[in-house]
Amino acid sequence: MDKLRRLSKPVIHVVAVGVLALSVHLPPAHAAIVGTEAVVSAQQAMQDRSRVQDLLNRQDVKEQLLRAGADPRQVAARVDALSDEEVHQLAAKMDSLPAGGDALGVLLFVFVVLLITDILGLTDVFPFVKKPVRR
Amino acid sequence: MFRTWAARAPGGLLLLHLLLAGCAAPLQSERLSPSAFPGPVELTTVPFFPQEEYQCGPAALAMALDWAGKSVLPDTLAPEVYLPGRQGSLQLELIANARRHDVIPYVLKPRLHDLLAEVSAGNPVIVLQNLAFAWYPKWHYAVVVGFDLERDQLVLRSGLEARHLVPVQVFERTWRRANYWAMVVMPPERLPRTAEETPYLQAVVALERLQRWEETSAAYRTALTRWPDSLVAQLGLGNSRYALKDLTGAEQAYRTAANRHPDSGIAFNNLAQTLADQRRWREAEAAAERALALGGPHIDTYRATLAEIRARRGGTKPES
Repeated sequence: MDKLRRLSKPVIHVVAVGVLALSVHLPPAHAAIVGTEAVVSAQQAMQDRSRVQDLLNRQDVKEQLLRAGADPRQVAARVDALSDEEVHQLAAKMDSLPAGGDALGVLLFVFVVLLITDILGLTDVFPFVKKPVRR
Repeated sequence: MFRTWAARAPGGLLLLHLLLAGCAAPLQSERLSPSAFPGPVELTTVPFFPQEEYQCGPAALAMALDWAGKSVLPDTLAPEVYLPGRQGSLQLELIANARRHDVIPYVLKPRLHDLLAEVSAGNPVIVLQNLAFAWYPKWHYAVVVGFDLERDQLVLRSGLEARHLVPVQVFERTWRRANYWAMVVMPPERLPRTAEETPYLQAVVALERLQRWEETSAAYRTALTRWPDSLVAQLGLGNSRYALKDLTGAEQAYRTAANRHPDSGIAFNNLAQTLADQRRWREAEAAAERALALGGPHIDTYRATLAEIRARRGGTKPES
């Protein structure tokens, strides 16, 4: 048993040094082709953001926000703070709203108000909205 | 607990309002003018596979795939997409399975107009329907192969019926209960009529993950015919050719990308890598330097590319 322990010691040293060497010599990034996925994701994220901001920039939406007691500029800033994935879900929700017709005004209003109140931490309808921590 | 409820109540009421408004929202078909899509359309080349019980998913996909030139029987697809536990197929399974058969699955915008536009353009559309109620769903996949708005009819390959005729509004109600889900499966050489640049390219990128480089290369070329200025399509074409070890073709694609988008570091980085693989060090170094100067989120990769090119070249110059 003692002999085994003595024999195993150099092996452990070699392994430890090897592992260390590996971690030291791994370069932080590899020279490589940048994949298409990275490019298309970035493009998608940019478009999602501008779609949400376009909505918030609409005059009727701004009026509704003000009427609800929210500052449109502050709301836009909050949307900027959402992650790409969260903005994407938001934009996808906008797609699923029925387009055109009289229902749009009502829906848009409810949707925007819910979004804002969610962001402000008053409601919890959209799971992707970051909630402020309440203490 | 009470506090949480109190805080949520207004949101809940508003959500209820939203749902009610959703139910009461007018049908898209009410606003559809028949003159927008004149004349009866019917895609007679789409085959018909009568479905076995619950197997409408595999059957619908098989019909669309056959139209796209990929002959496959529903029985072959069934074990791949049918989930016995759910007695049906999920949309994601259909999408993933379509990819495995080398076509580009493209999910349409939830609009009746887009569905009709695809059928008019000759592309059969797989739709998901809820034939019963929201609270007692009966999910069903069918393929829309034609319509005649004058007669208020859609033609579906559905269940055991090769030509299931259904009034437009009835169809829309069943389709709406499935959130207007619709998909086309396209050969890489053919674009959906209603395709938009980014979603289409995302559908192609998903095929990259399966390493179907011949197909992605063809699809990017197709995309460039409609969106010649698309950076993603141009880079995707280069990346597909690079993966196929077609260095000349890749270089050409990256050069076009770099010319049209001189602010894209990725175009220059990938060009540098391709030139380095051809041992054209001087040009490679210039391109890598350009990428590094442009910077951006991938700057670490650009730096590594440049360092590697200089090292492989013989290390005459130290890294800046």
